[in-house]
Amino acid sequence: MSPDILDEAMEIWFGPQHVSAHGWATKLTLVGDYVVECDPNAGYFHRSAEKVLEFKNFRQGALVLERMCMLEAFLAEYPYVAAVEKIAEIEVPERAKIMRTIMMEMSRLHSIQFWWGQFNAELGFFTMALWPWVDREYSLDAFEELTGSRHTVSYSTPGGVKYDFTEKFMKQLHRAIDRFEDRLPKFRDMQMGSPTFRARTKDIGLYHYKQGLKWGLSGPPIKACGVPMDLRKDDPDPNLAYDMVDFEIPITENPEYPGSSDALDRMEQRFKEAEVAVDIIKQLLPQLPESGPIIDPKARAKANRLPEGEAYARVEGTRGVTSLWLKTLDKAQTAYRAKIRGPCIASYYALKDLVPGSKFADFIVIFGSLDPYPGWWDR
Amino acid sequence: MSVLLQFDFWQWIQGIPQWIEGILYWIWGIVKWIIYAIWDFILWLWATIFNADNFFFLFRAVLFPGLIWVVLALIWAVWGTRKLWGRIQDRRGPFHQGKYGGLQLFADAIKLIAKETIIPDKAKRWMFRFLPGLLLVVVLLPFAFIPWDTVSAVNGGWAIADLSVSLVLVFAFLTAVPVVALLAGWVSGSKYTLIGGFRAANNQFAAEIPMIISTIGCAFLASSLSVFDISMAQTNVWFAVLLPINLATFLIAAIASVGIFPFDAPVADSEIIFGWRTEYTGIYFTLTYFAEFAEQMLYSALIVALFLGGPNGLPFLPGPVNFTIKFIVVFFFFVLVSSSFQRLRQDQIVKYCWKYLLPLSILNVIIIMLAIVYMPGLMLPLLGVG
Repeated sequence: MSPDILDEAMEIWFGPQHVSAHGWATKLTLVGDYVVECDPNAGYFHRSAEKVLEFKNFRQGALVLERMCMLEAFLAEYPYVAAVEKIAEIEVPERAKIMRTIMMEMSRLHSIQFWWGQFNAELGFFTMALWPWVDREYSLDAFEELTGSRHTVSYSTPGGVKYDFTEKFMKQLHRAIDRFEDRLPKFRDMQMGSPTFRARTKDIGLYHYKQGLKWGLSGPPIKACGVPMDLRKDDPDPNLAYDMVDFEIPITENPEYPGSSDALDRMEQRFKEAEVAVDIIKQLLPQLPESGPIIDPKARAKANRLPEGEAYARVEGTRGVTSLWLKTLDKAQTAYRAKIRGPCIASYYALKDLVPGSKFADFIVIFGSLDPYPGWWDR
Repeated sequence: MSVLLQFDFWQWIQGIPQWIEGILYWIWGIVKWIIYAIWDFILWLWATIFNADNFFFLFRAVLFPGLIWVVLALIWAVWGTRKLWGRIQDRRGPFHQGKYGGLQLFADAIKLIAKETIIPDKAKRWMFRFLPGLLLVVVLLPFAFIPWDTVSAVNGGWAIADLSVSLVLVFAFLTAVPVVALLAGWVSGSKYTLIGGFRAANNQFAAEIPMIISTIGCAFLASSLSVFDISMAQTNVWFAVLLPINLATFLIAAIASVGIFPFDAPVADSEIIFGWRTEYTGIYFTLTYFAEFAEQMLYSALIVALFLGGPNGLPFLPGPVNFTIKFIVVFFFFVLVSSSFQRLRQDQIVKYCWKYLLPLSILNVIIIMLAIVYMPGLMLPLLGVG
């Protein structure tokens, strides 16, 4: 890139007041209609969650975590709960494990439906944005019935879960799943068969999985390259019920560029993720014991004061590997230090290498296809 | 001899009433002149308006189917669009104000007008204030040439005006729209508006050539450049039957030219906030917003006039009713198309318009010319010539 080109360059701030930049700001350098430099900036969404965790006790901490990404609240709060359980050596009842897993997969389904609508809105197709959001309401109704809240659910707690499944909740859960399965083939056809959608996403944001692993990507952005990397299989959590179900890791192969993925593949990958999530829920529901404890009775006392120790817990989130490292001092009421590693920090800073050379109009497509959520990089 | 002043004080005193009387007469003269002028103006106005021809011209131009009717139709077109979009998108659309939300747009307009108008520091203030109004005027003027009725304007029909080159004039007005958009984007003094302005120019650049070539077939068949004559040439057969490909290309090019979905790159909200309209607030935003819908309506009306027989249709219905029915159907198509696709990139818009629309629109013209040459027995009676 010669300096002459940059003489005519225009610097433009994409965010923080931009309509599709909700809580992030990226500085783009444009030459003509092409982006030559992309400078992602973190810090516009900072709520000092890691510091807050040092002042919250071990039952309150999960509430901070789920506010990091409300779209996958059941998944986001889990690493903290798991870390506390590891340090305090709390056993989780069988029933709570299954209930946790079901709700985490529901959370994944609902998060993907939201992303799906948002991606279409970013592509300028608001009809296809609202249809998945209507289906998403069914999941939210179920969440509300279960926990009393649509987004900030605070369901998992050290030792188990807080609320038991009710009759009405089960009805709503089935309704949400049935609705999704009913509409999925039509939606998939409409989405993947749309010529304008293919024109906008084919070969856009193309990267090889080796490059993706170098950036630190995980979850759907790397699975879309055809790499079966999934914590649900690779490292099943003993306090979750993923070992009780039989499922394949969803991957997408790009026929033209093996080992690479573009925005179209990542869309296809999200469909498969949602299908697998529903599959797991349907396998787990018959295995759920009719009755039994949903929480270890001693867990509350154990979680009040933790012994000295440190633990690392992680979970396969909707957007990638979500992990947390927790260190406690002896007889601690609060964490000494908590370090959150969200999945999206990698995919956000991947834009730095991925975007230059593409058109300005494609920036939001690349960004949307990686699905970064600002809460995960501004901790 | 000394100079004797010939000044008789008493005589001077006696002159004062005469002097005052003179002044009063002078003032009365002025007042009389003003009163006569006003009276003459009233007489002129009376003669102008209530002279039968003039009255009907003004009635057509101002009330129906002129300004007021178009603006009211515009308001309910926005309402209809929002309602249809709501239905298509699995929601209800506006329903609070009035029956079925029919007064929603009036409420919106009042709210927008009452809002604070913010003009950025970097904007060129005069142009920034002037351009939205100019845009609406430019878009509303071509409605004068829409043939609402089977009887021409000269013979007292419901059309407002007729001109031998009205088709060219309509396109001349429509070409000015992206120029205004580009200027508005320029004078707003923001990078996003500048990009949006250039994208608007790019859209017109892509869509205009196929659009104008699509109308050449109609002008050929009617052997006239007047929109009224073209619609009147379709008494036997609509040009949509003879020029079906041109109807499709014109519709697509019109959508691209207006800049609504899927060709809404000039105002792509997820990419460039709101394109060249980003900095407009309050009443200025209202004007630009209405101008977009007025342009959609204008293109719908043009499609009806050029391809769907204009006011010709069911014989037992009056011309304007026939026209309006077809107009609503075409407008519905606009809404349907604009809610069914993802947005295209600017270079893709140019590619689609030039690579596919342009050859297709020329192809149809060539086919119909060959048909006239080699099958005159079939074609000429259809056109009412043979």
